[in-house]
Amino acid sequence: MGEKSVVVNLFGLNFNLTNCLGGTLVAVCTFILLYWLGHRATIKPSKKQNFIEYFIDFTNNIVKDNVEDKDAQKHLSLYAFTLFMFIFFMNQLGLFFEFSINDHILVKSPTANPMITMTMALMTLLLSYNYGVAKYGLKGYLGSYAKPVGFMLPINLIEEFTNFLTLSLRLYGNIYAGEVLLTLIGDRFAKSAGWITTIASIPLTLVWQGFSVFIGSIQAYVFVTLSMVYIGKKVTKE
Amino acid sequence: MQLMYAALKLELGDTLYYLLIFALLLILVGHFAWGPVSDMMEKRRQKVIDDLDHAESDRKKAELLANEREAALKDSKQEATQILSTAKSNAEKTKTQIISQADDEASAIRKKAAEDAKQAKADALNEARDQVADLSISIAEKLISKNLDEKDQKDLVDSFIKGLDD
Repeated sequence: MGEKSVVVNLFGLNFNLTNCLGGTLVAVCTFILLYWLGHRATIKPSKKQNFIEYFIDFTNNIVKDNVEDKDAQKHLSLYAFTLFMFIFFMNQLGLFFEFSINDHILVKSPTANPMITMTMALMTLLLSYNYGVAKYGLKGYLGSYAKPVGFMLPINLIEEFTNFLTLSLRLYGNIYAGEVLLTLIGDRFAKSAGWITTIASIPLTLVWQGFSVFIGSIQAYVFVTLSMVYIGKKVTKE
Repeated sequence: MQLMYAALKLELGDTLYYLLIFALLLILVGHFAWGPVSDMMEKRRQKVIDDLDHAESDRKKAELLANEREAALKDSKQEATQILSTAKSNAEKTKTQIISQADDEASAIRKKAAEDAKQAKADALNEARDQVADLSISIAEKLISKNLDEKDQKDLVDSFIKGLDD
């Protein structure tokens, strides 16, 4: 990929404007969509309300299946719902919308960047610590790392780190690969041998985009499910 | 080389930015979309539960009512039968009463009629006796002249008639 990101240094921190723009766009669109779907909720549901209720039910079920703690369920339902919507739309953004100026790409899937997926995974991780400590207290929570037997401590610690890495990198890898292949088909393959390959690249792009929509949905689902599994593990005594 | 360096730089600003927009999105979605819809879902769930409970109690009430009605019907049937039988027995009683009364009356009338007849016979006999006596007296007067006064003659005829009776 020959596209460069626009990186700005502000207060000693590097801001990747491509990611910031994409994330803002997705957040705004997600909010507008959900607001449009759900702001006039009534007892007798309209079609719009049915739609949003279907997704709320969907994420609520993910939470219910993996978290047994009733108090945590209530708060996590909103988290799971928002997380699912946010990641889903971030995954889809790069598929149909890529905007670049002078070889500087401005808008693409933010989840095709490991930094962003790690941010999401970090959020889940911090949330799981929060729930673990809230449920068992700091001492009880830290003690749970040495269970069921003392020598499990390093394994449990490593597991914590690998959970974080696999959660973030799985999402990143899937979306990044999808984008790379789209670019390869659209740029390299289409321009490789004149008009024949250009025409041939059209159905290929179409197929791969469809598949990427599928992958994006699955990965959003997997991310939310695993987040809930990790959080659920912290609030359940083994 | 510059490009490589840029790619290797940790973009921690993004992390902060994403945490911020996600938190914002969470709050906004929770307040404007997820919250109201979830509330409605809960309300609907409650309403369905209430409706089901109501239906159950209504059904029970209707069943109770139907049972009551059936019992009342049975009761009224029994009552009707009772009334009928009472009426029948009453009628029977009245009938026998009327008949016995009629019998009594008839016998009383008969008795009275017999008495009357007896009286009439006696009266007639007495009258006849008187008339016969008078007649005989007048006959005797005519026959025997005027020797005997009326009283002596009557005594004579009376003893004569008594002799006839014996």
